[in-house]
Amino acid sequence: MAEKVNLIIDGKPCVAEQGQTILAVATENGIDIPTLCFMKEYAPYGACGVCVVEAENVPKLLRACSATVSEGMVIHTDSEKVRKVRNIAFELIMSDHDGDCLGPCRLNCPAHTDCQKYVKQIADGDFAGAVSTIREKIPLPASIGRVCPHPCETACRRQKVEEPISIAFLKAFAADEIYKNNTKVIPEKQNSTGKTVGIIGGGPAGLTAAYYLALSGHAVTVYDKMPKMGGMLRYGIPEYRLPKAILDREIAEIEALGVTLINHFTVGKDAALAELRAKHDALLIANGAWKSSALRCKGEDLDGVFGGIDFLRAVALGEKPAIGKKTAIVGGGNTAMDACRTAVRIGAEEVSIIYRRTRAEMPAEDIEIKEAEEEGVVFRFLTNPAEILGENGKVTGVKLQVMQLGEPDERGRRAPVPVEGEFVTLHLDSVIIAVGQKNDPAGFEDLPTTARSTIATEEKTGLTSLDGVFAVGDATNKGASIAIQAIAEAGRAAKAIDAYLYGYEWNYKEPVVSERKESSLDFSDREQLARAIMPHRSADERRHDFKEVNLGFTPEQAMAEAKRCLECGCHDYGHCRLIHYADKFDINCKKLDGEYHPCFTEERLVVIERNQNKCILCNNCVRACAATGKELLGLVGRGFTTVIRPECRGENLLAQCADCLLCANACPTGALRILK
Amino acid sequence: MKVVIGKGSCGIAAGALKIEHTLKTLLADTACELGIAGCIGMCFLEPIVDIYAHGVLLRRLVRVSESDCAIIAEAVKTENLSLLDHLTVSEEDNAFLTKQTRIALRNCGLIDPENINAYIEADGYKALRKVLTMTPENVIEEIKISGLAGRGGAGFPTWFKWNAARQSAGDEKYLICNADEGDPGAFMDRAVIESDPHALLEGMLIAAYAIGATEAFVYVRAEYPLAIVRLQKAIEDATAKGYLGENILGSSFSCHVRIKAGAGAFVCGEETALIESLEGKRGMPRLKPPFPAQKGYEEKPSNINNVETFANVAWIINHGGAAFSAMGTENSKGTKVFALTGKIKRGGLVEIPMGLTLREVIYDIGGGIRDDKEFKAVQLGGPSGGCIPEALLDTVIDYKALSATGAIMGSGGMVVMDEGTCMVNMARFFLDFTTKESCGKCVHCRIGTRRMFEILTRITNGDGKDGDIELLEELCEGIRGGALCGLGQTAPNPVLTTIRYFRNEYEAHINEKKCPADECAALRSFAINKENCIGCGLCAKKCPVSAITGERKQPHTIDNEKCIKCGVCFTVCPVKAVTKNGGECNG
Amino acid sequence: MSEKKSLITVLQEKQEELGYLPMDELYKIAEETGNSPARVLGVATFYTQFRLQPVGKYLIMLCKGTACHVNGADGLEKAICEELGIADGDTTEDGLFSLKTVACLGCCSLSPAMMINDDTYGSLTPAKAVAILRDIRKGEVQ
Repeated sequence: MAEKVNLIIDGKPCVAEQGQTILAVATENGIDIPTLCFMKEYAPYGACGVCVVEAENVPKLLRACSATVSEGMVIHTDSEKVRKVRNIAFELIMSDHDGDCLGPCRLNCPAHTDCQKYVKQIADGDFAGAVSTIREKIPLPASIGRVCPHPCETACRRQKVEEPISIAFLKAFAADEIYKNNTKVIPEKQNSTGKTVGIIGGGPAGLTAAYYLALSGHAVTVYDKMPKMGGMLRYGIPEYRLPKAILDREIAEIEALGVTLINHFTVGKDAALAELRAKHDALLIANGAWKSSALRCKGEDLDGVFGGIDFLRAVALGEKPAIGKKTAIVGGGNTAMDACRTAVRIGAEEVSIIYRRTRAEMPAEDIEIKEAEEEGVVFRFLTNPAEILGENGKVTGVKLQVMQLGEPDERGRRAPVPVEGEFVTLHLDSVIIAVGQKNDPAGFEDLPTTARSTIATEEKTGLTSLDGVFAVGDATNKGASIAIQAIAEAGRAAKAIDAYLYGYEWNYKEPVVSERKESSLDFSDREQLARAIMPHRSADERRHDFKEVNLGFTPEQAMAEAKRCLECGCHDYGHCRLIHYADKFDINCKKLDGEYHPCFTEERLVVIERNQNKCILCNNCVRACAATGKELLGLVGRGFTTVIRPECRGENLLAQCADCLLCANACPTGALRILK
Repeated sequence: MKVVIGKGSCGIAAGALKIEHTLKTLLADTACELGIAGCIGMCFLEPIVDIYAHGVLLRRLVRVSESDCAIIAEAVKTENLSLLDHLTVSEEDNAFLTKQTRIALRNCGLIDPENINAYIEADGYKALRKVLTMTPENVIEEIKISGLAGRGGAGFPTWFKWNAARQSAGDEKYLICNADEGDPGAFMDRAVIESDPHALLEGMLIAAYAIGATEAFVYVRAEYPLAIVRLQKAIEDATAKGYLGENILGSSFSCHVRIKAGAGAFVCGEETALIESLEGKRGMPRLKPPFPAQKGYEEKPSNINNVETFANVAWIINHGGAAFSAMGTENSKGTKVFALTGKIKRGGLVEIPMGLTLREVIYDIGGGIRDDKEFKAVQLGGPSGGCIPEALLDTVIDYKALSATGAIMGSGGMVVMDEGTCMVNMARFFLDFTTKESCGKCVHCRIGTRRMFEILTRITNGDGKDGDIELLEELCEGIRGGALCGLGQTAPNPVLTTIRYFRNEYEAHINEKKCPADECAALRSFAINKENCIGCGLCAKKCPVSAITGERKQPHTIDNEKCIKCGVCFTVCPVKAVTKNGGECNG
Repeated sequence: MSEKKSLITVLQEKQEELGYLPMDELYKIAEETGNSPARVLGVATFYTQFRLQPVGKYLIMLCKGTACHVNGADGLEKAICEELGIADGDTTEDGLFSLKTVACLGCCSLSPAMMINDDTYGSLTPAKAVAILRDIRKGEVQ
């Protein structure tokens, strides 16, 4: 027998056979040396250069895939010198890897919901599968699908063809279908851990955390000061947008997981924060931002001036706020739209929006603006309240400063500036001010706050400075945002709390992903297919009641819409060795941005789709094919412009490729895809 | 009398064929003999015609033109050589030769490369005869004593490689001559093969004998057709005379030499890529180990040396290793051939003993900078080498000393640059070369050289960004450490040395958007001052791209879209109406 | 002694014969030499000597060696490209000129230099280079 070789890899003594490579010995000893072009079936090739290691007293770095071990070697696989050379290799590969790991929809969703996957599932008619995918990030798909301002759609690449995919409505559609058929799509709950978590606030964030923590086997109690759970989804979103029966149904599913729901419970009144801390192993604060921001103009204290969310809440609670016949809503966001359309529905005859910029700058969703217009709301752009006028303590009107748009600021947004001396007066019975909302720190004085008086937390996990206390959503950090943002934070906090309860720390890191450059996108070959229009009730009909405006997609409409998806995200994400290591080593994919290697249009090799944009020239497929004796694939060209192409005379290619799939299986990235 | 025409490629390019043809006609009916020689190396004086009587050089005529042929014929016929005074090489120019020590180039330009007898008369094949009486071990020992190191660039001890190949198990071994001289600015190997092919063959035969090879290849660039023709003839002649083939000179030693024409890939200068190419494959380097001495051509032990290395061998055997090692420095023995080019007064082939300083080569042999300009840098080692500034001109030519500057000895390219050469653009030039010549196998070289090229391009285009220098340095370090073969590992050298010695030029491009050498076209601009322009139209006529328009006697204008910034308008304007870079005018 | 021709040699001979290497010939060579077409194409596209497209009547080889670079080869290239309306590696529409930049023609002392077919032109300026091309074109027209 050959003599054994003793060596040390990363401080670990290893025994190896003569002639073994460093990579083989490291692998045997559980030490992960990255490699992209090494395949154990074939001779080492040496192209990728990411397997470099440092051997003491050897000036040059060694390629672990081919360098053999020798007695007394001391190897370092992650020394500073190795990192420099290896990271440059990854940065270089990423700079020439023209592919999206994840679709822009998923990346732009604060919760990174796998939109592409559930849209595909809907396209395939697998609605339960779609809901299950959504619930990995969003436990309230029917509700969120209706109200989300969908950053996913804002990023959707389909816009490069015509219009974005109707991702949000598809989400609601899938959930509606499931509920209609009473299908239960909730994962198995873990065994009870015996730990308890208290959640303050039963809005989207609180409910989300409750869902995931309950699934993890923790005993969860949600405390909420309102009569019912749902938070802003219930008290801030009007019924005609989100029927409360749907919300109730989704909350019921969460309750069914064993979550205890306690309403009419105000922290600082019914119990101090400290008491709740003592009672539970961990606490999550998700109490939201329930105070309307003030306009800070004269007359704001008059009778007949309402806060936007206060007004919506009152209506939701079944009250009839006295807004009279003529009302105006100040603001251009979605709350302003909700308020004006609600005002129409409770009987106001003249409803106007006062907004200091123009329609183009309105933050509200386009469809909301359009539907408000259809319902008779009058928009008064480029006006800003200078003073709310009143008599006997009661609103009589508003004096409006006429504005104009000034120079664009650094973000390109044109700031409104007053037109000197120009004013207009409106006669009104009430004014609803919907210019923002704030949190109320009462009851949470133990926690350090930010300059905005919100609760300061570690952004990724929600951890506060108090042990075991986490906080997320509108009440924290930058303040009020959209529901999906709060849901994203709650989902991460649930993971962090789970880890906390097990006694370790969980840290969130945004995954390293490859993203295509705008300049490389070309969809000119795609057929134009219009975005599905959501069926809805006419303005005349809907303006008199609170029944849902939208009627929902039919399965046919939904599936056709879902089929428009360009499937930007890579099929190989999750298996791709390249991005696995790029993420592991925290590679900056854009650092060495430059031109991409040239590409031929996608070529099919029988059942294999070849996307050369993603090819990293590891040559694995060529070698795998050569090993079969066929050698249908080959390197073409030289240097940076080298590509891998199948080459065969005439149509013989189809006849010759044996469908062995060795090439596709050898590909370390998503360049080759098996279509079977 | 004998009239000998220098017929190396450069002589031919300069018009030697026409001169040969004309002289042939003019001297047809005389007793005067017409002969040819290879390249003497005085490229700056081509075409060159030598006049001999009884083997003695009487006159060396330089920069001969076709119209000079009549007077040459006249002088030769009448034996009145004083008629040729005006064509005779000057004392000063001759210093180019007299300061050299020629071993590898010993016969170049002096003998007829197409005539084996000329080589034999010059002691040719004497060393081969001697070697056949020695043991291979003794031959290797002699080479070891000589201290000869690989002249291809790496400077690895030749005896060591020979010995490794000799020691390697197996009875089929190959000897390979690397004549794939691809460094831009280097033509030493071409000159040797064109001018003295038998010296190469004799060196190869000795090496083949020493390592035990019976098959040998010369892998020569296809771009060297003349070299291939002359080498082929030399092989045939040597075979006919029994110096080559079976049972050489009656001994039991047999060796065949074949020429393989490369097909155009710089990377094939790398040993393992060359072997791949010899085998008919894409010339992509292999992983080492195994080294060629273990598994080379067709998986058999192989030894590869370059042309100049072999050209020294016969001399060493004839004169003894000690005579060779008596020249040079402690760690670099013998002589080295350089192709001295660029902004130099006297450019050409130079062979000098190791240990001379760069200054001696550039000023004493090369005569200094052309057109009274300032010296800026000298580039050694081509795309794998670096630029050495004025302050380091007293560096001695020695493997270690040159490496310490960040450049390398290299195969012998020595390009001199003056104040008008932009060092950033120089680095860009080399990276342009490397990125085109990268085989594409390994990531570091394939993408890395491309990214460096892109960054250098944006800097020379005036689009450089803060941090670009640091990014280049980071890339250099990564590529040097990670590339698979020597081409990639050394590709950063031109960038690193220019940053090291000329960082201010990089900074000027990036921060001030200025090219201090005024070479980068994107940072140059020309305009016509309407006040001064007299509308003579000279600039428009001279503009190579028709970028200048205007009515006669009316002020002309330059179309900046079309303008290639060559500056010809600036130079020719009789009234200095053309301004450069927003101000400066010619004068 | 039997000599097995390497694939490169076979390709060189074929190009010598035809002036370039048409795809059909590559397939034929693959069959004759027992190599796969992928391998033959791989070799034919690796080396700069091989051409898969025919070249123009006049092949301009513009030297971009170091000495030529230092002496202004970049300007020559721009002027030639502008004059012919083609980029490096291309052939003019009329099939008259092809431009190919090469690493080094080995006549550094004549730099900057170019070769047109077998003729070498040295010590060029952009204007001289353009004049040479115009002369050739004029000669063709007549």
